Amino acid sequence: MVKVRIPTPLRTLTGGKSEVEAPASDIQSLIESLNGQFPGLKDRVCDDNGEIRRFVNIYLNEEDIRFLQGKRTSVKDGDEVSIVPAIAGGVHPGDA
Amino acid sequence: MLAGKDGRVTQHYKIANIVATEGAHLANFDEAKFAHLQALSPDERADIAFVMDARDMSAALKDVRRLGLELQVIYHSHPHSPARPSLTDIKIASEFESTRGILNLPEPLHLIISLEKKDAPEANAFRIVNGTVTRVSYQTL
Repeated sequence: MVKVRIPTPLRTLTGGKSEVEAPASDIQSLIESLNGQFPGLKDRVCDDNGEIRRFVNIYLNEEDIRFLQGKRTSVKDGDEVSIVPAIAGGVHPGDA
Repeated sequence: MLAGKDGRVTQHYKIANIVATEGAHLANFDEAKFAHLQALSPDERADIAFVMDARDMSAALKDVRRLGLELQVIYHSHPHSPARPSLTDIKIASEFESTRGILNLPEPLHLIISLEKKDAPEANAFRIVNGTVTRVSYQTL
C-alpha cells in the first residue's frame, strides 16, 4: 500500500482524512485507485486529458513526479505520495 | 519566490500566474471566490488572484535546493488594494503550513506589494502562522 497525503482543499472528498492508503504500481494507477475510494478526486487532480493539472504537484517522497517519469513513475509499498496544491492568493472584493 | 540563506535574499524566481488561463477547478479557492473568478475576464482575474504554475514552483524549489539555499519569501502584488494580506491570502497561507511541512520547507515571509498608488508603490512583509498575521521589518541592501 502507498501512503498518500491529502491537502486541505481535497479533504472534503476523503471525509476529512489527511492521509489515506491505496494499492498502486505507478502514479496513474494510484490516482485511479484513489478515485475509486474517493469519487471526484481524479477530476480535482487531473484535467480532461488526464494530465496533472497545472495547479497541482504530486510528490513521490520528496521529488516532484514531473522530474521523474510523470504519471508512469513507479511506486511501491511504503512509498509516500503527497498531493500539493500550488501556492495561491488574491483579493476578493471587500475582503482586503 | 525569493530564496537565500541566513535571512538574506539572493535569488529571485518569477513564477507564472495561471489563474488567468486556467479558469476552472481552482481548487485553492472557496466556492464563492471560484464563482466570482469564473465571471471575470482573464485579465480581470489576474488582477485579483494568483495561482502559481505548479511546474514553475517545483522547478524553482528544486533549484533552491541545488544551490543550497532556502525559500525565504513568497511575494505577490495587490494592484488595487493595500499592502496587507487579504482574508484569502491568510487562509491560503495557513493551508500552506501543512504543505511546507510535507516538502520540508522553512516558514517563508509573505511580501505584498501594493500598486494602489501608482506613484508610490508600497511593499510590506508579514509572517502568517495559524491565521495570525504579524508584520515584520526588512531591509533593502
